[in-house]
Order: sequence, then structure tokens, then C-alpha cells
Amino acid sequence: MTLQSTPDQTSSRSSAPLVMEARGLVKRYGQVTAINGADFELRPGEILAVIGDNGAGKSSMIKALSGAVVPDEGQIFLDGQLVSFRSPIDARRQGIETVYQDLAVAPAMTIAENLFLGREILKAGPIAKLLRIVDKKKMHEEAVRHMQGLQFAIKSMSQPVETLSGGQRQGVAVARSAAFARHVVIMDEPTAALGVREGNMVLDLIRKVRDGGLPVILISHNMPHVFEIADRIHVHRMGQRAALLNPKKISMADTVSVMTGALKPEQLSADMLAH
Amino acid sequence: MTQPATAPPAAKRSALPSLSTLGPLIALLLACIFFATQSDRFLTATTLSLVLKQISFVAVIAIGQTLVILTSGIDLSCGVIMALGSVVMTKFAVELGMPPLLAILCGLIITTAIGALNGVLITRLRLPPFIATLGMYGIIFAATQIYSNAQTVTNLPPALNFLGQTFNILGTPFTFGAVLMLLFGLAWFFLTQTAPGRHVYAVGNNPEAVRLSGIPTTRLLISVYAVAGLLYGIAALILVGRVGAGDPNAGQTENLESITAVVLGGTSLFGGRGNVLGTFLGALIVGVFRVGLTLSGVNSVYQILITGVLIILAVATDQFSRRKA
Repeated sequence: MTLQSTPDQTSSRSSAPLVMEARGLVKRYGQVTAINGADFELRPGEILAVIGDNGAGKSSMIKALSGAVVPDEGQIFLDGQLVSFRSPIDARRQGIETVYQDLAVAPAMTIAENLFLGREILKAGPIAKLLRIVDKKKMHEEAVRHMQGLQFAIKSMSQPVETLSGGQRQGVAVARSAAFARHVVIMDEPTAALGVREGNMVLDLIRKVRDGGLPVILISHNMPHVFEIADRIHVHRMGQRAALLNPKKISMADTVSVMTGALKPEQLSADMLAH
Repeated sequence: MTQPATAPPAAKRSALPSLSTLGPLIALLLACIFFATQSDRFLTATTLSLVLKQISFVAVIAIGQTLVILTSGIDLSCGVIMALGSVVMTKFAVELGMPPLLAILCGLIITTAIGALNGVLITRLRLPPFIATLGMYGIIFAATQIYSNAQTVTNLPPALNFLGQTFNILGTPFTFGAVLMLLFGLAWFFLTQTAPGRHVYAVGNNPEAVRLSGIPTTRLLISVYAVAGLLYGIAALILVGRVGAGDPNAGQTENLESITAVVLGGTSLFGGRGNVLGTFLGALIVGVFRVGLTLSGVNSVYQILITGVLIILAVATDQFSRRKA
């Protein structure tokens, strides 16, 4: 997949094909409608922030996109192809990787092992394949190469993840998804558990993932973070997409007003809306 | 940019695991030196052979227990599964007239299936491993007593005893040593060199991370308990070889003894960290204390006392190193 530069795409919206699109997603839990006809679109090479108040249904929608929830109605398209995910594993097979907020790493295992968890590189030869003997050396080399590509400064890939700081651990999780995602990286509150400096480190890493050509869906409550790195902002409200905003034109305060419903999207000037 | 700040603690912490691997080795050496000063019969090949005999089936059970504990589980039913295995193998051969090899195979299949059932109770019914295997302890113990009428099975065909027959290495009779080494070697290879082995560690570390990375955790856990069951079956075979009978009353304390060996060997009871070769050292420590104290003419109550002290020391060390990390 080759990409044109990002500024070009934002101006010519219709010509750039969507990486991911959802139309009219609905998910009901008994009386509660968590997703109420939600639309969604993700363009190539962008960081799309998804924001919304608690209970707005953004995490339900993200779960539908990552395969963790099967929607009752609606369609999801990946590169224009209709897809249906029965599980997160399904979505992963299609090249969609998700980074979860709760630092989903195995602390006592090495960085290289965490990067390749569940996708270990096996040694060559039929016996090695049958016994599933791992090629530690190759995994180590690949890990070094990949982490250097992300300019992620870590001394040794063979140190256990628990020796890292919280930000570095989240960095490992981000690097892991970037290494294996072919289409989309979804990040669920990747900076929530982190301090200021650590959060910035992870933001840098997310930018590098985008610059490497992978579009990123970023779910975050942290407005400064959203405004720092998002190319567009998807505002979710009452189970639907309320607006698509342009963070370069709209203020943080107005964004929050749209999120809480104090400001209607129709009241915004046209340049504040993203296309 | 964060590199210089984190480098020193990283170096300090990474020194700790090596301490926990060296710990059992140091303890074993100290114990050997101590008993050598107490009895001049201690440092002989015969004593070494005796120690291996003493720990033989507990050590094999402890391999299974290590696998289970690495997944942050525990198996209290291991000893009684071994007892059932020994009764099944001997009864099938003696009373049903099965060829010994077939009887052994049946015994191994049954212990493996019971192990798998433990895994199913833990994964599908979501029972805590402690409760599931405690329940199975009672069920299997009772089933063994009922099936055997609480009678030991004797008059075994010679082929069933083959693990009891000695073979000579350097003029010293060894029975189980070679089998033991082989099993520990295989377990070590599996745990450190294969992808499923690494997943065993990972699932003990963070089961959610393992599930999210697409590894079928339920299948993994059931397999671990099943393999543990198979190992209890092999322990049953060693037991039959050693006592020359199928013994329904065996295995009632092996659960705690195997856990002691695992913990002394530096494997964390919280799962995800440890080393099966450490378990071998742990079992050796228990055996050395048992034989050493007997040779020194110390009352056997002190053996139990010292084992208790050792297990508390081992877990305290583990806790301490975790708090620092």
C-alpha cells in the first residue's frame, strides 16, 4: 500500500478511498441501544480521534470495528470490501490491530517475546516447525530493527518488560500493533495510565506509526492529546456520530460543547467541520 | 531520552531473577556440605542413588506441578491421580489379564483424561484451580478406594516393574535417575524453546494479553493440565516399579511435597516466572534433607519442620523480589 502525502488527501476528499467505513451500525442490549445507527470513516494515513462523553457509546462502536462486539445491524467496509468480524481474532486476520489501555503485555517476558507473542518466528526445518521451536535470535534481531524504525530507545530487547517504565511498556504495545497491523491500528486510551512525559513519548510513537503509512483510530479523553496529534476528530454522542471536526480550526472549548450537546454542529462555521 | 534515567534500575532488577535461580543451587550445596560434615556416609554414590529414589515420583509429579503453577494455577489432585494410575495399571494387568504395556497405556490415558478434566473445570466452569483440584482430590481419592476395595494390587507381571529394575552406572545402581533426567530435559526444552512453552509463561503473566494476542488460552490451559495428568501417570509407573504394587493409599501428601519442590526451585506461586530445572533442584533439596537428617540420626519430625521453614523462606524471597520489581 503506497500513500500520497496527507495534506493532498484532505483537500480532495472524494478521490481518496476510505480505509475503513461503517454505515448505520446498531447494537442493542435489551432496552439499551448502545450504537444507534452510527457512521464511521477512516482515511488512509490519518490519525482520527474518537471522542465522546462517558456513555456516548464510542467504546461500543470501537468494539464493533475491532471485532469485540458483533453489531445487530449495519455494515463495515475495509478498503471498500464488506467485512464481518465475529471476534477480535477475525479483525486481526484482516490487519486491524488494537492497543488496549490496560498495558496488555506479559511483564516477566522480554520485549522481543512480547512483540512476537502469539506470532513467534519459528526455526526453519520440518522438525522445528512441528515442535514449534522458536527462533529467539531472529525474533531479537527483528525486534531491534523494528524498534529502531520507530526510534524507540531501549537498551536491550532481551530485558523483561517489567523493567520498563509505564510509558515504555505502552510503547511496546504500540510497537507491537504497528509491527503487525496491515490496515488499521486502533488505540483505546493509550495515554490514560501515563504521566505527562510518558504520554508525550507514546504520542510521538503514534505519529511515527501514522507517518509509516498506517491510519490510526485514537480513542481518548485527553483533549490536549487529541488536539496535538489528531488530523480529524469524530465526535460521538448518543450512539451516533454527531460531527466530524477539524482540530486546526475549532477550539477545544467548542469541541467539548459539541460533545456535550451544548453546541449543534449546524451552528459551527463550515471550516470547523472536517470533510 | 528516558534511557539514562531508567538504565540503573533496569540493571538492578534484572539481577534478581538470576538470584532466584542461584538460590536453590546455593541452598542445595550448603545442605550437602552440612550433611557431609555430619555423616561420612553422606557423600557416597549410594546416598546419591538413595536421594534420587526418595524423590523419584515426587520429582516427576513436580514437573507437572511446575507447568500448572507457571500458568498461575495449582494442582492439589496430583498425588491421588498418581495413586489411581498405579491401581488402574496393576489391576488391568493382574485382574483383566491385559498385556502389561496395554495396561500401562490405559493407566496413562486415564490420568491424562483426569488432568484434562481439571483443565475443563478451570476454563469452562471458571472454577479457581485451587477449588477445582481440591474437589478432584476428594473424588479421585474416593474413586480409587472404591475401585480397589482399598486393597493394594500385588503379584505383578515383571514387565510392569521395569522402572523398578536397577541399571548400573559406574557401579552404582540407578533406577529412576535416567528417566528423571530425560523428563526434566524435555520439560525444560518445551518451556524455553517452543512457542507453546512460552505461552505457558505468558498466560501466567497476563492471561488477558495472551487471549487478546489470539492464542487460544482455553485450549492451552486444558493441554497443560492434561500433560500434568500424563506426568502423574508416569509417576504412577515409577511408583509401581518402586513398591512393586498398585497402591490406592499412595499420593496423599504428594500435592504439598510437589508444591514445595516447585517453590524451593524458585518458581513463583503467582505464575509466569520460574524454571523447571529449579524444580529438580527443589526436589533434590527435599530429598537431601530427608536422607541427610536420617543418616545423621535426627528425628524425622525435624525433616517436616525444616521443609516448612524452607518453603516459607522460598515464598518470602519471591514476594520480596516481586515487590522490588
